Amino acid sequence: METEMVRKEQQATTSKKEYIEILGDTVVPVRILSAIVISICLSIGGYFLGKSFFPKIAEAKMVGSYSLLLGIAGSVLGLIICANLFKPSRILTEEETSSEGLEEILLSMQVDPKAEYELIKDDPVTKKEMEELGILETFKRSGGRTQQ
Amino acid sequence: MSVLMISILLALAGAIIFSLIGLVSGTDETAIMVPFTLLVILLGAPPEAVFSFFMAAVLSKHLTHAIPTALMGIPGDTTAVPLIDHASALRRLGVPHVALRKMLSGGLIGAFIALPTAVLFGQFLGQFADFFKASSGLIFTLAAILIAYFSKGKWVSVLMIIPFAFFIKSIDTFSFSVVEKHLSTSFFLGIAIGPMLSDILFSLSPTARKGMVRQTAKEYHLAPETKSWKGFFPNPFRVLTGRQTAYTAATSFVSSLTFAFSPVGMTSLMGEIVGSRNKGVYKKSTSSLASMNGVTESTYIAEAIIPLLAFGIPLSPVALGPASPLFNAPPVFTSDPVNNLHNMMTPWEFFLYGLIGLVIAALIAYPFAMNYARKATVFVMKNISQEAIVGMFIGLACLLAFHEAQLVGVILTLTMAAVGGLMNRVLGVSSGVQFMIFYGSTYMMSKLLGV
Repeated sequence: METEMVRKEQQATTSKKEYIEILGDTVVPVRILSAIVISICLSIGGYFLGKSFFPKIAEAKMVGSYSLLLGIAGSVLGLIICANLFKPSRILTEEETSSEGLEEILLSMQVDPKAEYELIKDDPVTKKEMEELGILETFKRSGGRTQQ
Repeated sequence: MSVLMISILLALAGAIIFSLIGLVSGTDETAIMVPFTLLVILLGAPPEAVFSFFMAAVLSKHLTHAIPTALMGIPGDTTAVPLIDHASALRRLGVPHVALRKMLSGGLIGAFIALPTAVLFGQFLGQFADFFKASSGLIFTLAAILIAYFSKGKWVSVLMIIPFAFFIKSIDTFSFSVVEKHLSTSFFLGIAIGPMLSDILFSLSPTARKGMVRQTAKEYHLAPETKSWKGFFPNPFRVLTGRQTAYTAATSFVSSLTFAFSPVGMTSLMGEIVGSRNKGVYKKSTSSLASMNGVTESTYIAEAIIPLLAFGIPLSPVALGPASPLFNAPPVFTSDPVNNLHNMMTPWEFFLYGLIGLVIAALIAYPFAMNYARKATVFVMKNISQEAIVGMFIGLACLLAFHEAQLVGVILTLTMAAVGGLMNRVLGVSSGVQFMIFYGSTYMMSKLLGV
């Protein structure tokens, strides 16, 4: 809960921002373009650096592989830099999905919540597994609501 | 030091290094496996130890790359692309760690089924070498039609096979005229980053942008932690249900035999088959993920072992890609004349040293990923922004494409990504279909146009 509060506060301070959804997660347009530029520069930069440096110390046939490894190191460095520069805009809630939320999600996935629960109910193995995970109740509520 | 000791040590090194590399999303197998394997060979490791290293590396990488796939919805590498839809469904339901456990356990079972299957069938399949080589184009084409029909796009996917093959062959021919070699990594990368690039393209277009804009940040729900096993090392047979174990075992076994197929294509095909036999989002997704990850594991292992054992020349997509140093690493290994693991190891040694690699990887990567899956989720969700991940993914794709064919590789990757991504996003032509069309394009165009 504490995390959620912190995230909400963070979001409030940046609420003027407009988000774009890329691969199912929200990003800030300016940041995503900066991150791509930083990452390409460091990856290709590392590769070029390797191509000019390694011929002096390594066998000719290994230069390509070593340079590639340096380029990969560059992109990992890019990840670390970008992760520090741009904090995630997602909100993480460490509790189970509410039935309303789940129902919306299922409907947006073109799944009938009632039919989904009926299928789970009739399958003892899956039912037991979901019970152990603590998510069965949510599915039950979500399925029950549509029925009314 | 004895060969056995060196093999164990190298397998250990491979398992640790590749467990960590697997966490980094978007790493292309070929580009990552080849330099490391080449390094081990050229440093003078005995053939048995090279093989143990390779097996440990493949299994570890495949196990931990399930983490970005399940937790962030970003493919751990190209073989994880077909798993994205099911992983995203479970992520939206708030149980990404369940998706991860199913994938990990499926992968582990797949690996241990693939090793004996591949060693046994490698010995028998030598005589069919000519048949497989001659009919691979036809096999890829038929598989593309089958997968297209079962994909989201259905008829439009089937209808687009010929035009898409024409497009692929056209840019292949053009890039060949510039760099005088046929590119493969650049095509893979293009298909893999397609959906990501098309999202970015949408956001840059004033007309398409509207559908992408959100006023609030995305909210994620993570279900409470439940550990369904005792001790540090979980039992994969208890993580999967009996039916899921059976599906995983069956699909892994079948895909171990189809060594001429693309691992990505086999994964899509087997996933669709298992998915169509299970109803309900939760059950369909968990069952599909377990068997799909089992299939990526088994195809990789079998596609490396069967051609090595049977022919000594690379005759499968994996043998041509990530496993290529095992066939060809002059001056140590050569495939023309055949002087590589094929002559240096007996079938029994393939089994023994393969087993050493797999067992060590299973002891390191599997419990690590299983026990820290949720902690890893929380860490990544809180600390690693989507901006950083997408940036790195595109940076890596450009780097690997550049490594393959300089600027031509980069342009080809972006062209492929733009066309493939829009077809995927707008028409529902899935990545698996696109990979199969890529493999079958040469055959289709030569049959239709005689080129």
